[in-house]
Amino acid sequence: MATRAKPKAPLLPLEIARTGPDAIAPPSTRRRVLGWVTVGAFLVLGWAAFFLAPQDDVQGAPQRIFYIHVPSAWIGFLAFFVVFVASLRFLRTRDLRLDALAVSSAEIGLLFTTGVLVTGPLWARPIWGVFWSWDPRLTSFLVLWLIYLSYLAMRQYVPDPMRRARFSAVLGIVGFADVPVVYLSVRWWRALHPDQVVFVSGGPRMPTEMVVALVIGIAAFTLFYLYLLTVRLRVRRLRDALEEEA
Amino acid sequence: MRAPVDAAIRLEGVTKVYEGRRALDAVDLDVAQGEYVAVMGGNGAGKTTLLRVIAGLATPTRGAVSIAGVPVDRAGPGLRSLLGYVGHDTMLYGDLTARENLLFHARLFGLPDPERAVADAAADVAHALDRTVRVLSRGTKQRVALARAFIHQPRIVLLDEPYTGLDEDASETLSTNLASLASDGRTIVVALHEVARAVSGPERIVALDRGRIALDRSTAAADDIESAYRELLRTGANR
Amino acid sequence: MRILAPAWLIARKDLRLELRTRDIVTSVGLFALLVVVAASFAFPTWGRGREGVAAGVLWIAFLFAGLLGIGRSFAIEKEESCIDGLLLSPAGPEAIFLGKLLATLVFTLGVELVTLPVFVVLLQLSPGAGTAVLILAALLGTFGLATVGTLFAAMAVNTKTREVILPLLVLPIAVPLLIASVEATAAALGGRSLGSAQPWLLVMAAYDALFLMVGLSTFRHVTEA
Repeated sequence: MATRAKPKAPLLPLEIARTGPDAIAPPSTRRRVLGWVTVGAFLVLGWAAFFLAPQDDVQGAPQRIFYIHVPSAWIGFLAFFVVFVASLRFLRTRDLRLDALAVSSAEIGLLFTTGVLVTGPLWARPIWGVFWSWDPRLTSFLVLWLIYLSYLAMRQYVPDPMRRARFSAVLGIVGFADVPVVYLSVRWWRALHPDQVVFVSGGPRMPTEMVVALVIGIAAFTLFYLYLLTVRLRVRRLRDALEEEA
Repeated sequence: MRAPVDAAIRLEGVTKVYEGRRALDAVDLDVAQGEYVAVMGGNGAGKTTLLRVIAGLATPTRGAVSIAGVPVDRAGPGLRSLLGYVGHDTMLYGDLTARENLLFHARLFGLPDPERAVADAAADVAHALDRTVRVLSRGTKQRVALARAFIHQPRIVLLDEPYTGLDEDASETLSTNLASLASDGRTIVVALHEVARAVSGPERIVALDRGRIALDRSTAAADDIESAYRELLRTGANR
Repeated sequence: MRILAPAWLIARKDLRLELRTRDIVTSVGLFALLVVVAASFAFPTWGRGREGVAAGVLWIAFLFAGLLGIGRSFAIEKEESCIDGLLLSPAGPEAIFLGKLLATLVFTLGVELVTLPVFVVLLQLSPGAGTAVLILAALLGTFGLATVGTLFAAMAVNTKTREVILPLLVLPIAVPLLIASVEATAAALGGRSLGSAQPWLLVMAAYDALFLMVGLSTFRHVTEA
């Protein structure tokens, strides 16, 4: 593919600008379609979240943020799983493309995890009166957010691409192994020191419409994640091509 | 042109990239068992990288390195025991004595009689053995570093500019030692600066230029080599 | 086992170096002591419930002091490329990892076993029956810290800013360990016996086992060049 192929005469930056980025990383119809499908999915989500799903009797209107909050959390976790798998495969194959995949997924994962940490308090405040309580799931996401940050920060300090990729892969594996342990220990910890406030999502039995809206949300966010991933990879490929012949 | 399967050292298409700079560029090299090779080249030509890649201290970006037919990245303890490496740094702990450093390495290599091995390897610096490495002179430190590298009697010896810091006397000793190791059938690859050292002792010179092999000749025709090498350096400097 | 003997050789070498220079133990010990004393002024370490505060202060001190020590340990290997000497030996990366881990464990535990009694006296605590748990918690917690710390210190020492990045890497990963260590230590300081601390000790043991395995299997990727 475009990454590994080395043109006989390396393209100068001016040539790249003239021929267009399309020569290095061709536009793909699939990506365009994905983009538009994602937009569509979000429109459907918007409708489902506000019109399909009923208003929650206990929490009222603010509860609807749930349809963004939970899918964001799902993606935050999925993205890290992708980092984990890419890291494992990278250590076996030493293919830098896997490193590109891992870091791109990490960047997007950070974005969505930030979303979780923002929507969580926004949801909590109108209903329970506080922005933050040490809810085990939200707290686990705080730690996940920190792990993402340390992953990306560490990369800034290692200039050599191969070494940076190896270190990142190890950190990705360690981080992923840590996540379940974090969740369990935070859960037990909060059980020992209960707060007056405990966040609850949905009731004991969520009406079907809510479940449907949630599923649409997860689907829409997953598509969004995939779209962002392909775009990010493309930008990365272009930048690498520019740097390689510099 | 390919050496027999039991080539002591083989590099195939080895490229090593450090932050965009090609330290080695598609290098193919075979060193036969028992060969005594001098590696030469200007600064940044790739001598150190070449030796580090052979020793397994650096992993090639592309290509394969094998020692006695075994890929270096799958090297086990047995293979590592075959190698002796002398780098730019001494690999000695400054706050331990020379003896403690050497004993540590002797034990690490599982030698049956560490004390004896240390006494043998460090015969020429016996007087400095119980002094802390930090207080030793550059030359003595270098000699202790050499003792460290040879202590386990490696079959393949890699040396990166080992004459640096040695006085005339010690240089002669090293040269003689290397010659006797060579006649003992050991494989020696030594990176050098001075052509004089390269032609008296080694039987083959490989010169690197910007990560590629630019010269690969036997030292039989010494004058020929000297002028060829100087020419190489000159064209390199003018670039 | 093929890695135990070389690991022990490497650990012994570190201990010999340390006995000679007392480099790590003094800086780490002093740091831990200062944190503990400063915290005594900064946090409410009197009255009821001070066991909880004390446990927290102790582990923050041990965490940062421990990282200081591990960072130093690898900085020493970087000088004169001594780490290359280890990598070129038959020992293998797993043995190197274990050896550095053991040495760090000994240094840090040594500092802790001095800091702990001082702190107990300062804060008028009486662990009583919980003393055994206290020591066990110190052991398990420090082991976990040493495991993750050794892995990341080997990375950190090869970065542009050297050891500075080490806490950044270790802290998020060490959250479960921190929680468990503090809970177990607080229970112990309060004189409670094994019962209430037991689940936390198990968490620590599980954490230690998990990251020991991860460390052993990934260390070679960190030491490669």
